[in-house]
Amino acid sequence: MQDTTHIVQPNRDRNILLTIAATIGVALLLWLLTSLGSIKLSSALALFAIWGIATVSLNLVNGTLGILSLGHHGFMLIGGYTTALLILSDEKRENILSSGRSAMTPFTLGLSIKNFFNAIGLTALTTDETLWLRFLVAILIGGLLAAVVGLIVGIPSLRLRGDYLAIVTFGFGEIIRLTASTRFFSPLTNGALGFSGVPIQFGKSVWWTFAFLGITIYVISKLKYSSFGRAMEGIREDEIASEAMGVNLAYHKVLGFVISSFFAGIAGGLWVSWLGGARLDSFLFTLTFFFLVALSVGGTGSITGVLLGTALVVFVRQYGDPLEQSYLITTWALAFGVILLLTALAIYIFRTLRRSRPKIIPAFYFFLGAGVLTIILALLAPSLGIMQGEFRGFGMRAIFLSILLIIIMVFRPDGMVGRAEFNWAWVFGERLDQPTEEERKQDAWLSNPELNRPGGAANTSEVEED
Amino acid sequence: MIVLVILAIVVGRIMYLGTVHQRFSSAYFIRAFLESLKLGSLYALIALGYTMVYGIIRLINFAHGEVFMVGAFFTYFLFSFSPYPLFVAALWSIFIAFGFMKIIEFWRGKLNDPVVLAFGVAAFILATYLLNQTTVNFFVALAFSMLLTGVLGILIDKIAYAPLRTAPRNSLLITAIAVSFFWQNFGLLVFTNRQTPFRPDTFLRDKLVFSVGNGTVRTTMLSIAIPLISLILVVILTLFVTRTRLGKAMRASAQDAEVAQMMGISVNKVIATTFLLGSMLAAAGGAMWGLNFGSLNQPALMGILPGIKAFAAAVIGGIGSLPGAVIGALIIGFMENFMTAIFPKTADFQGITEFKDTFAFILLIIVLLIRPSGIVGEDLSEKV
Repeated sequence: MQDTTHIVQPNRDRNILLTIAATIGVALLLWLLTSLGSIKLSSALALFAIWGIATVSLNLVNGTLGILSLGHHGFMLIGGYTTALLILSDEKRENILSSGRSAMTPFTLGLSIKNFFNAIGLTALTTDETLWLRFLVAILIGGLLAAVVGLIVGIPSLRLRGDYLAIVTFGFGEIIRLTASTRFFSPLTNGALGFSGVPIQFGKSVWWTFAFLGITIYVISKLKYSSFGRAMEGIREDEIASEAMGVNLAYHKVLGFVISSFFAGIAGGLWVSWLGGARLDSFLFTLTFFFLVALSVGGTGSITGVLLGTALVVFVRQYGDPLEQSYLITTWALAFGVILLLTALAIYIFRTLRRSRPKIIPAFYFFLGAGVLTIILALLAPSLGIMQGEFRGFGMRAIFLSILLIIIMVFRPDGMVGRAEFNWAWVFGERLDQPTEEERKQDAWLSNPELNRPGGAANTSEVEED
Repeated sequence: MIVLVILAIVVGRIMYLGTVHQRFSSAYFIRAFLESLKLGSLYALIALGYTMVYGIIRLINFAHGEVFMVGAFFTYFLFSFSPYPLFVAALWSIFIAFGFMKIIEFWRGKLNDPVVLAFGVAAFILATYLLNQTTVNFFVALAFSMLLTGVLGILIDKIAYAPLRTAPRNSLLITAIAVSFFWQNFGLLVFTNRQTPFRPDTFLRDKLVFSVGNGTVRTTMLSIAIPLISLILVVILTLFVTRTRLGKAMRASAQDAEVAQMMGISVNKVIATTFLLGSMLAAAGGAMWGLNFGSLNQPALMGILPGIKAFAAAVIGGIGSLPGAVIGALIIGFMENFMTAIFPKTADFQGITEFKDTFAFILLIIVLLIRPSGIVGEDLSEKV
């Protein structure tokens, strides 16, 4: 799985047709899945698309540009709050204005796409039927505003390198959130109360979110394989060398950051619509942490991998709630013991496969012993009268994801697919590069039927008797 | 020069406030000064851990704020739930004795040295006896918690960071974030999201009232004790780093780990020592943080802000430098507390209390953009 896109691809027309067919196939699949009528499933799919937009755009900075950005939640906040403010329905605005606890002013409450269209005389676009158009305008404005903030943040901070840059982006992300919570900004953000009643028919709709995801993937993959993307990958591999080759570092970094912020803003807009409201605690650093898990598990730098990782994270978030219910303490202890035993087994298999010596290390005995001990203790607990009562696994999903991230980082830092991208040639098992003369000779030699025949060129020494 | 300008502005502002309202007497400012000093020395204890770890393995240890949180909770457990049953006390004591042995190892060189083992067994028996028989007082709990948290720091390094020594620095940073999230959510699992009262029975919480001019300053013994304890710990740390063999090895590894290894220094041991010392200081900071505020915040939140502010302090002072971390921490402490005291809420001004959490970030970004090496730090620019 090497990066081979610089070579003229064989079967280009077939691949384009297959891509179109696959898009239609995905659409049909979505239609099928939504027609099953499960609200949980369709909202999980929509969440996958929304977070997919965020992770694919974060991947442009973290993977393609090689900068660790930790402030994605801040840009999502800007896009989300802008969209929410611009699309909020009239009665919700009146509710906020009449509420004594709100600090919002009539001016900011008047900021809506509807009022704007009314003012310029496009009354046809202010009806309920054209809400989708107003949402589209609002979300684009949200994205553009996030891009502007990305520009403001990016120009000074992208001069830094490595982990300092990570800290500065983290700092900006937190500053955006902390300043949005102050009284100074509460006329715009409504303080800790936030907005409720953002229309949810867009964020919960599979069609809207997947359309945005498709556009995002298209734009970002085009960008990745353009000369611009090549320059960004050059910056990732070696800044100094690419500067020497004539790549304008500041321009490429800032533009990449701004594009990433734009899509983060779009994702933020869809996210508030998915949530049905904009609140400051839906834009915590946890969000960026989830995206980092998705990136690292799937493979930082690969859009395919990032989407796989997002699917995993969304699955854990939406379907992992059995982990957070309350069970008997003995059940928890049993589960823990089984996990310890499985860890011991994994160590054994891993070392066998890697042919490491010694095959059995102290950690194996430790996990085995601890696992057996825990299980025995859990089984004996009812008769001994210990470990009684129930225990609620509050925060178990985040613990699972953080342990997963540590394990991935320690054992497979490249993630599931590394930097490889999906390609139709994977499916057909084709070779994308032209074999060299040497390889062609080897292939010819290996595929010589003389060799494979008993008594052929390879087995002349041992002649079998019939 | 800049310092003089800032001092002039502060003094001018104090003079001006004195004419505005009776409330802003000298007692008000002395109290603000004491509070800022207290906060600054708490940040210093955390910042030293960041700066030592960064100095040696070039890692921003995101999980350090959570180590601080766990240290505070260890102290809480030790003083409020003792005496323990014998089995539990022995379990605690194994880790306490291990931490103690690690420290004795500094002077002796080997862990399986009979002297170290003897000290370890003695510490184990003593700790088990104390935890089983008595309600330990705050200082014993603090010492035990420091040892436990030190062992925790070593374990975090061994499990999560050590396999990644040669990996890209970004992967190391992501792992550190993951460790931090793990501890936050583990804390939530154990303590749920409520405040934990932290009121040990100790003379440090006694009231301290004295009069200055025409006003009285009402504070507690903590305003003196916290800076004093921090000062003692920092002095011990400085003596350790400058006077002992392992300290010398630490400084050598911070300059160039590879060459230090070639000269026969066990860099892994140095790294373990760094995590031990950093985590011990963070635990002391955590315990005194709880003492100062009377309660521990919910675990998912407690470590983040102090941790990131202390990190900002380490960067401002010059990351990798011990005096720099202390100076930076005092600057952050004064920025946060004294600034809000001299720009208070008045009739026509909202005050800047709401922005006090953002100061650290803004100062961090300004310092990184203008002078990334910090106030006393060396030049960290990358070589080709």
